[in-house]
Amino acid sequence: MPVPWEALIPFGLLTTMFAAGGTLLNVSKRAQNQGKPIRYHIDSWDEMMMDRDKRLTGHLRGQAAEPVAPETFATNSVWYTERVGQ
Amino acid sequence: MSVYHKPDSAAHPYKDPAPLPASVPQVQELGTTSAPLKSAAFFIGAYCKDYNDDFMLCKGENRDPAHCLKEGRRVTRCAQDLITKMRENCLQEFDKHWNCLELHNQEYNHCRKPERALNKCMFEKLGLIKTIPGSPEGKTPIHEVKNPVYTGVQK
Repeated sequence: MPVPWEALIPFGLLTTMFAAGGTLLNVSKRAQNQGKPIRYHIDSWDEMMMDRDKRLTGHLRGQAAEPVAPETFATNSVWYTERVGQ
Repeated sequence: MSVYHKPDSAAHPYKDPAPLPASVPQVQELGTTSAPLKSAAFFIGAYCKDYNDDFMLCKGENRDPAHCLKEGRRVTRCAQDLITKMRENCLQEFDKHWNCLELHNQEYNHCRKPERALNKCMFEKLGLIKTIPGSPEGKTPIHEVKNPVYTGVQK
């Protein structure tokens, strides 16, 4: 009796689609983080430090180990402001 | 109440390109980002203890930023000095350790092997030891425990 291989196509499709979706998600997250795993459990301190990293290197996950900061670091800080009143 | 708001989330983020006034002595800012700084943190604590304590006590008096500028400059210069020395003496171990931290959410307990190499190099070359203040008396500090209970998830 021949094996009903057409019945196994949906299983194959499911597996492939799960794998493709998972891979796409992982690749997308890594691409946003310069190839490194994502940062999780980020608290306010980590947010502040990542903001500082962005000011120093241009990307939230960029890292540099120089003793002296580039000249632009002194004046490129951005302040969060809210409009109060009129 | 001080809550950190990300500047990107503001409707009109405020940028001020004007530099500090000339009356304030100029100091070059520290160019280390978060991961190398976390790697060097305990060594900065050991090397710059006096200046750091000075700054914290000054901040305890008055939270106004203008009040503690001098102590802050000293802290910056001391940290710069240490980072320069670290790069001269232990550059490879330092780079390995902070790259490992970057791959593990900047948590120390996943990167003990590079950390041990860095601690050994720092002790031999610069005589600095990592001590965790407040670790329980009589027990081995967590960074020296041979087989820790909490390790990372296998990736």
